[in-house]
Formats: sequence, structure tokens, C-alpha cells
Amino acid sequence: MKPAPFAYHAPDTLDEALELLAPGDGVRVLAGGQSLVPMMKARALRPTVVIDVNRIPGLAVVEEEGGALRIGALTRQQALLDNDVAGRAQPLLHAAGRFAGYLATRHRGTVGGSLAFAAPWAELSAAMVALDAQLEVRSARGERTVPARSFFTGPNETVLEPDELLTSVHVPAAAPRTGAGFHEVSARYRDFAQVAAAATVTVDDAGVCTAAELVLLCVAPVPHRVDVAHLVGTTGDAAALDAVAGLLVGLEPLDDIEVSGTYRSRVAVTLAKRALGDAFDHARGAA
Amino acid sequence: MSDKRVVRVEVNGAWHDGLVEPRRTLSDFLRDDLDLTGTHVACENGFCGNCNVLLDGETVRSCLMFAVQADGRSLTTVEGLAEPDGTLGRLQQAFHDNHGLQCGFCTPAMLLTAHEYLEAYPDGGTDEQIREAISGVICRCTGYQHIVESIRAAAGGAA
Ligand code: FES
Ligand code: FES
Repeated sequence: MKPAPFAYHAPDTLDEALELLAPGDGVRVLAGGQSLVPMMKARALRPTVVIDVNRIPGLAVVEEEGGALRIGALTRQQALLDNDVAGRAQPLLHAAGRFAGYLATRHRGTVGGSLAFAAPWAELSAAMVALDAQLEVRSARGERTVPARSFFTGPNETVLEPDELLTSVHVPAAAPRTGAGFHEVSARYRDFAQVAAAATVTVDDAGVCTAAELVLLCVAPVPHRVDVAHLVGTTGDAAALDAVAGLLVGLEPLDDIEVSGTYRSRVAVTLAKRALGDAFDHARGAA
Repeated sequence: MSDKRVVRVEVNGAWHDGLVEPRRTLSDFLRDDLDLTGTHVACENGFCGNCNVLLDGETVRSCLMFAVQADGRSLTTVEGLAEPDGTLGRLQQAFHDNHGLQCGFCTPAMLLTAHEYLEAYPDGGTDEQIREAISGVICRCTGYQHIVESIRAAAGGAA
């Protein structure tokens, strides 16, 4: 199907874009278009006004300071993957990002768009929740910062108001000796994740864990953060990793046309252990 | 409300003008307005990759871009891969020689995807890298093996 007709604006400045976005209802932001355009074609979305933000300078900049990153929302997913500074500062961004779509969709698809559309399988959502990223949101009314951990409210739903634009993502610096791991399963190579696990682990000089994060996708309505505090003080040995299974009891992932919720629950345990195991190995190697 | 707009794009080295509704996809613009029907459209939803074209040298799904967004940009479609005299380019010839196509529907996108890949990996890389590169383009005929072999065969020369 073809999208319904709309009025098209391609402003040159952020202020202009926010002004155009101010009415909220019926107005949509077009960034990479990899989510919006299919939804418009399915007529699941019928915006009357589309604001193409691709011509606004400065929205696609990635800056690093003292290990902390500021990632412009319009940064293409592939540009993030190609950014060695970002990958060194936060290896999880690359570990997760390489699973996001295909090269041709990553060339267009943006970091901000992925977060704002909040697809349940969006790898970057898991990464930003694990990394405790802060999302900068602007509107003609003002500016606010939303933690990634309270940004998502359901599948394809976020706290963003219709007149708001996600402008950048701030990722705090990683502690020294922090490693990352990411695993997912999908029906076909690089297809949408059926289940995914993102993990970071920080160790001390002796290789003992001082902090760990685990976030799962597609096991709950939003990226699901699992409290893995029990890993602190361990070396990520088999017993410590096996104990993760107990933390996932009670999750009730949904069935869908591809897989059952039961399958997701089982696979989640395996992926969580693999992601954490990789993060431990990586942390020890990354002195 | 959806007034038509002028779009000016460079396609395969030549500039074209068009007058389009903003909702006109780039794939429809190429096929129906510019008559460049080498760009194939299947799912029209971003899943199959058959509509891939090169936008300033990078593969993109032309069904997920509006033509107005390509204003001022440079595109390469499969028609641009042939030699100036119309004979097959090296990569196209490699697909021909190695049975890299059956029905041919996915072939334009495969060729452009392979073209981008070989720019990054002129020596052809590994089979796994080739498979990763073409994973975003669905082929319903070949089982991909001959496509991988075609790309490998084309490696090393000016693709
Ligand atoms: S036709 Fe564009 S991705 Fe399938
Ligand atoms: S050759 Fe028929 S779809 Fe690929």
C-alpha cells in the first residue's frame, strides 16, 4: 500500500522543527524512515504533516568526553557501528548494534528513531537501558531529560509526547575493566530478535565482579532489566551464572506467530548466561 | 495539502527532474516517473531488500524513502552497473557466469549490495562476510550459494 497524502516539511533548524511539531496531533517526525514509512504504508499511522529532520545540522553528531558519549538522535545506526571511539567507550553499543537490521537499513535507520519507535526487539533499546543512558527530549515548550530506564512504557510506546523530539542520547562513561556481551536468536539470520540479552560486567584487578547489568528483550512489554547483584563478588563462575535462571522465573513472555512464550522463557536463560559470560571474558581481557 | 514538489536527483550520472507528491516513494519515482524499472519492488515494506539502490554510494531501501528526500542526492541503480556500451559490468558478468541468478528478481538488489560490499572488501573477504552482506536481500530461487560464488568470482577486479 501507499501512504496517505501528507504535507511535507524539511526544516533547516531545530527550532523550526519544534515549531512545526508543536500542534502534536497528526504530526510526525521523519528521520531514517525505517519504522515510520512501513507504518504509514500499512496506514497504521496517517500523519497529515511529516517533518523531515534530516536536513537539520548537528543532530547526527557523536561526541566523547572522558568516556561519556553524547549521541545525536539522527546518528545513523551504521555510523554508530563505524564509530571506533563510541565502540571503545561503550563496547555494548557495538555488540548490540551489529544485530540491528541490515546494512541497508542501518545506513538510514537512526539511533533516536530506534528508541522512539520502541520496537520490542530493538537491540539499541536494550543497550541504552543497560547503560543507564539519559535521553534528551525537546519541544517548543522546553527541554527535559528522561532516563532510558523509564522511557519505555510498552511495545512501541514511550513517554514521548506528540510534540516532543528526541534529540540526543547521553551514555555515561564505563568504569575501567568493563566488558559487554550481546546474544539473540531470530528465525532467520539478522531477522527480528525473538529473544535477546544484553549484558555488561565490570571487574576489579583480580577479575572479581564489582558491577553487572542484564537486560532482556521480548520477555516483557518493555526492555526488562534483571537485578543481577548476586554476581558482584563472584568471578562469573558456572554456579553464579546458573543462578540467573532463578531470577527469570515468573516472567511471562507472550506467544506470537513465530514462537511460544515458553520457548522465549527457556531461551532467555541461555542467552542471559551467554551474554554475561561474554561480558566477564571481555571485562577481564579489557584491562 | 500534498502539493507536488520538484525533485532533482542524479541517477547513474545523469540529472533528472520530477514533480512528485511527497508520499511518492523513491522506488516508485525511479520505476514509474523515470522509467528505470531495473529497481524491483516486492514487499514494499523494508523486509526483502529487493528495492535496494545506492544513495551516495550506500545501499538503502528505496521503498522506505520518499523521493523528495533524495533531492540533490546521487543514486546508482542496477542500470548504472553496466558498461557504457551496454555490455555487462564485471560483477554482472560474474553473476551470469556463476549462475548467480535464476528468475532474476532479486538480482538488481544483489548486484548493488555486492557492489557496495566489494568496495569495502575488494579481495572478497570471507564467505561469512559475503553472507552477512547479502543477508538483507531475500532471494527465493537460488539458495544463495551461487550468489556467494558469483561475488567471490567478481572479487579482485573493478567490480
Ligand atoms: S521492496 Fe523494499 S524492502 Fe522489499
Ligand atoms: S533469482 Fe529469483 S529471487 Fe533471486
